[in-house]
Amino acid sequence: MPTITIDGKKVDCREGVPVLQAALEAGLEVPHYCYHPGLSIVASCRLCLMEMKMPNPQTKELEWAPRLFPSCQTPVRDGMEVRFESPAVQGNQQHVMEYYLVNHPLDCPVCDKAGECYLQDYSERFGHASSRMVEDKHKNPKKNIGSDTLLYQDRCVLCTRCVRFCDEIAGAGELRVVDRGNRCEIDVFPGVPLDNPLQGNVVDLCPVGALLDKGFLFRQRVWMLRHTPSVSPADSSGATIWIDHNDEGVHRCRPRFNERVNQWWISDEQRFAWRAYVRREHERLTLPRQRRGGETETVRWEDLPAILRFRFEQAARAPSGPQAPAPGSKVAAVLSPMMSCEEAWLLGRFIRSVAPQATLVLGHVPVVGQDRTFAKGFVIRAEKCPNRRGVERAMESLGGPNLALADFLKAAGEGKFAAAYVVGGYPESWVTPDMQKPLAKVEFLVVHDLFASPLSAAATIVIPGASWMEREGTFMNCDGLVQPFERAIVPLEGVKSDGQFFHELCGEPGLFRSRRTREKMAETMPEFASVFVPRQEPEYAH
Amino acid sequence: MPYEKILTRNVGVPGSTSLKAYQAAGGYEGARKALAMKPDELVELVKKANLRGRGGAGFPAGVKWSFLPPNRDVTYLCVNADESEPPTFCNRVLMESDPHMLLEGILIAGYATRTTIAYIYMRGEFTEQFHIMQRAVDEAYAAGYFGRNVLGSGYDIECYIHRGAGAYVCGEETGLIESLEGKRGWPRIKPPFPAVEGLFRKPTVVNNVETLACLPHILTRGVDWWLALGPKGSHGTKMYCVSGPVKRPGCYEAPLGISTRELIYGPDFGGGMRDGMKVKACSPGGLSMGFLRGDLFPKNPSADKLDLAQDYDELDCKLDFDDTRRYGLLGLGTAAAVVVGEDTDIRDVLVNVARFYAHESCGQCTQCREGTGWMYKIAQRIRAGAGRRYDLDLLAEITTNMGMMPGLSICGLPDGAAWPIRTLVQRFRREFERHIDAQAPGAVEQAIRRVNPAAYELPIVQGRAVAPERGSMSYEHEWSNAAGT
Amino acid sequence: MSWQAVDRTRVPEEQLGPGLSEAVKEKIRAFFSRYPTKQAAVLPALHIAQDALGYVSLRAMKELAELLEIPPSKVMDVVTFYTHFWTHPKGRKTLLLCRSISCELLGAGKLKDAIRQRLGIGEHETTPDGEYSFMTEECLAACDHAPCLMVNEKMHKCVRPEDLERILADADNDRLDIPRSDLFDAP
Ligand SMILES: Cc1cc2nc3c(=O)[nH]c(=O)nc-3n(C[C@H](O)[C@H](O)[C@H](O)COP(=O)(O)O)c2cc1C
Ligand code: SF4
Ligand code: SF4
Ligand code: FES
Ligand code: FES
Repeated sequence: MPTITIDGKKVDCREGVPVLQAALEAGLEVPHYCYHPGLSIVASCRLCLMEMKMPNPQTKELEWAPRLFPSCQTPVRDGMEVRFESPAVQGNQQHVMEYYLVNHPLDCPVCDKAGECYLQDYSERFGHASSRMVEDKHKNPKKNIGSDTLLYQDRCVLCTRCVRFCDEIAGAGELRVVDRGNRCEIDVFPGVPLDNPLQGNVVDLCPVGALLDKGFLFRQRVWMLRHTPSVSPADSSGATIWIDHNDEGVHRCRPRFNERVNQWWISDEQRFAWRAYVRREHERLTLPRQRRGGETETVRWEDLPAILRFRFEQAARAPSGPQAPAPGSKVAAVLSPMMSCEEAWLLGRFIRSVAPQATLVLGHVPVVGQDRTFAKGFVIRAEKCPNRRGVERAMESLGGPNLALADFLKAAGEGKFAAAYVVGGYPESWVTPDMQKPLAKVEFLVVHDLFASPLSAAATIVIPGASWMEREGTFMNCDGLVQPFERAIVPLEGVKSDGQFFHELCGEPGLFRSRRTREKMAETMPEFASVFVPRQEPEYAH
Repeated sequence: MPYEKILTRNVGVPGSTSLKAYQAAGGYEGARKALAMKPDELVELVKKANLRGRGGAGFPAGVKWSFLPPNRDVTYLCVNADESEPPTFCNRVLMESDPHMLLEGILIAGYATRTTIAYIYMRGEFTEQFHIMQRAVDEAYAAGYFGRNVLGSGYDIECYIHRGAGAYVCGEETGLIESLEGKRGWPRIKPPFPAVEGLFRKPTVVNNVETLACLPHILTRGVDWWLALGPKGSHGTKMYCVSGPVKRPGCYEAPLGISTRELIYGPDFGGGMRDGMKVKACSPGGLSMGFLRGDLFPKNPSADKLDLAQDYDELDCKLDFDDTRRYGLLGLGTAAAVVVGEDTDIRDVLVNVARFYAHESCGQCTQCREGTGWMYKIAQRIRAGAGRRYDLDLLAEITTNMGMMPGLSICGLPDGAAWPIRTLVQRFRREFERHIDAQAPGAVEQAIRRVNPAAYELPIVQGRAVAPERGSMSYEHEWSNAAGT
Repeated sequence: MSWQAVDRTRVPEEQLGPGLSEAVKEKIRAFFSRYPTKQAAVLPALHIAQDALGYVSLRAMKELAELLEIPPSKVMDVVTFYTHFWTHPKGRKTLLLCRSISCELLGAGKLKDAIRQRLGIGEHETTPDGEYSFMTEECLAACDHAPCLMVNEKMHKCVRPEDLERILADADNDRLDIPRSDLFDAP
């Protein structure tokens, strides 16, 4: 591990990283725009310049070289000595910040990025108090460059991160610099908009308010937002994200660095997954209901465990049909891959406690197309649910009879099940007639889902579920990585979060805490003894 | 004729561009000699001749070649014929009068560097010159100087002309490389240097037309002959350009080290000023190197002590790689002098110079992109009669922090922008101040308020122009200069 | 209105302009063998396209992109970087006036005024009859002939405002007096 000296302090750094990265990882604040660890290095913003000791060509002695070096482009070498705290370096930072404001419109009051804008931050921290520019500014247009993204050209600092992202990571190359000199703009080819499946990242990458998400435009001031670490449910890759929310709900999702999975990026599916839940909020189930004859009536959450326990035990005890292999097999639970590992395990345990021979079924696994791998290894998974592997793992550890969904439906259609607990939780409608018909044969059908559906209409008991933003737990991604997600917002009025409900169902006292549940799970499943939390990355001006 | 014409021997000679004429004068003898040597010997020979690049930086060509990694199968040679530095035209003159001299130079350099493909990157505005060069290339191919197994030596080299399309920065070697790769000519960060990773990520040598054209002569006439030309450290002959209101604008050859005055007034050079005018200013090394004061100003009474702070005639500056620095210029550059006559308003010169760099900055680096544009706007305002004395300091400061300290930007363009503007503002400060003092009262306020009506409330003339507490380098002498503003 | 955005996502068919003929494409393909990548042929390709169409239309850029196997945005990037390429139609002949220092010192400014007055067009504009377009450019590396004015490929040297009439009257004012290489067509 190389050790370098920055401003007189010894810093241990990772092999092969640029000095800038080492400095940021050591907690130093070094301004930079064009550098991003996930992109190629162009060293064009000239903000990160540093001084370095070099051997004097005459005397061969190490001394501060009379020039500046871009720290983003200088790899660390053991024993090297650099400094940022010098008049030359700080003078350069100050001047460059002044240059950035030469043509900038200074429209922070109406800019979405204000508050998390690195032009604001750096100007305050490294720049001048006032601009000496009294000439006319360039006035560049605002451009509609894609279905989700707007470009406020006059705010752009031409760091070309967005261009490099589209070239190198997304591989689509829609964004370009056009013209030259201070007439440079970012643009798309007319009629070829920015629409690659990763395009949303350019908005995060943009250090200033030039690239903006249309969905977020003028909706919130960012300092009103709280950030909750989460894992995207959009596919099985386990991309880690931040959910930005406040009392009014969720406003956006952003990538959270993850060296094992998504690096600095997320796909648009992952980015906008939350919108599907919000868009259909009016369709959400909000109170547990029970069918009595033709009518349904609300049930109190407190009463539900007893009712369920009684009815499932009853179904399990009932004499089994002529072909039924063993007692208890008339009871089944369909575990959705949208559930967290903890929820799947708790529900499985509950069912097995009332009907030891209950059948566990992995619910509908939505698959769209094929896995799509991008140039630098980003993958969009075809499996559009977060936790198939986690649910399978929980089922495996619980042992006992399992059925594939198709087989279960067939058996249910043949009337082999008297009671079933079916969990949904998908953001899109998922109930097909092929499911609906056989399940109609189940006498006591419990449907635990987010949205009203034909299935919930036919169920004996309907339990409203909570979205992933309203829950906490872990997902196991397609590679078996167990990653925690936290609750960002409170569940909808009337809804209890699934984990809490299953916790109570299992007769556990107090509040559901996913960590404590995992400790119990770890007794049989050692992989849950610890979860994977990505490395904390320094801030890269985005 | 005091100086022998070597590179310019065919200027104005009809029919000189054909292979036949070139061979009749002993053409391609140097190449034959070279092909009989080992490439490494050839590199050593050029190193010994200390042939310094004529493209502006003055880097020794042989040393540049020796940076190529030893194990390589592909090497490219880029011939920098993107001559765009105003007011330089010696490459053009060379190519239109003696295209085969360049081609022979390419062959020699190509062989020394084991080049597989040589690209002549020629600026798009060279139309006639393109057709002349293309014909010469065709002839040379037909005669076996290019292609497979050149002159039976077993050496293969291809040579193509690549036409640019109007961008000064494509003359910068990495900008040229990017442009050749079919991208915008944004210079690359160095390291890696082109010799290691250049065109198409392969080892590449970039040399100027004139540098290469010297090679045949070094080979045929020997290193000692070459070293005897010009002063120490600046060997060989150079094509000087002189333009502006002189009697004989043109391209003249002489050993390095003649004085600016000789270039302007020498009967074999510029031949003196038109209409008996005096020289107000002269940029002797191409625009980017900076301006000297002309003989409109009095002579320095103490002839041997240089005093750049005083308004003295500076035309004694010798045009070689070292004396130009002594006079506070960036370097020799392209040794192309533009002469500004006494009838020209220095503000027009400033605007023209500032516009050039603002127009040609490629836009990558912040200092260069915004700094050049800003300076252009200030210069325009000064010319429009709304300048402030403070603007002169501001200009000097912008030049300081965009190009004075090495490493501030990716390529040398902002240095090139900084020097002329800085030298203009410093050396002609008195004239600028005279103009500013003669402005209509209130002109500045009006101009600034037109842009920013809110400036009514602000103490614009002094107050907004807050001086920075820190700077890239000390520029105290300028502040003391500005005392009284 | 400052909050309104220019729509770059769509472009009406009629704005795409003319496309490239097969012959032009063939001429471009002939350059492929010179470079290890197809993209490197973009500059020659653009020269050829502009010589054929008079300017580089959006459709031409798209077709070039296809030919060179790069996204059209990359072609646009290059076209806009270099000042030689026009993205809107120009006249049959382009007057290209040097505006750099030596030419300006010797009267390029007056010549510019004369051209604008005589032809009634400004920079990057075209006369109504489609004959002439006008633009200025930085130093053309012919400062010994300042002020210089190019008409397409032909350089006119030491042009004074009073020479303008004579140059414009000459129908062959863009004809070179040396043999042309046929690698590129005359514009
Ligand atoms: C902004 C800029 C423009 C340049 N333009 C030219 C040019 O037009 N012609 C040229 O030969 N060198 C030009 N150069 C110098 C080249 O970068 C490079 O030093 C030269 O081609 C090397 O050739 P030489 O070693 O033979 O001089 C330019 C440099 C800079 C920084
Ligand atoms: S739009 Fe944003 S990310 Fe793109 S170049 Fe401009 S500032 Fe950088
Ligand atoms: S210094 Fe100027 S011209 Fe050179 S690369 Fe940077 S922006 Fe471009
Ligand atoms: S130059 Fe280093 S971060 Fe931009
Ligand atoms: S200044 Fe006009 S050609 Fe050089």
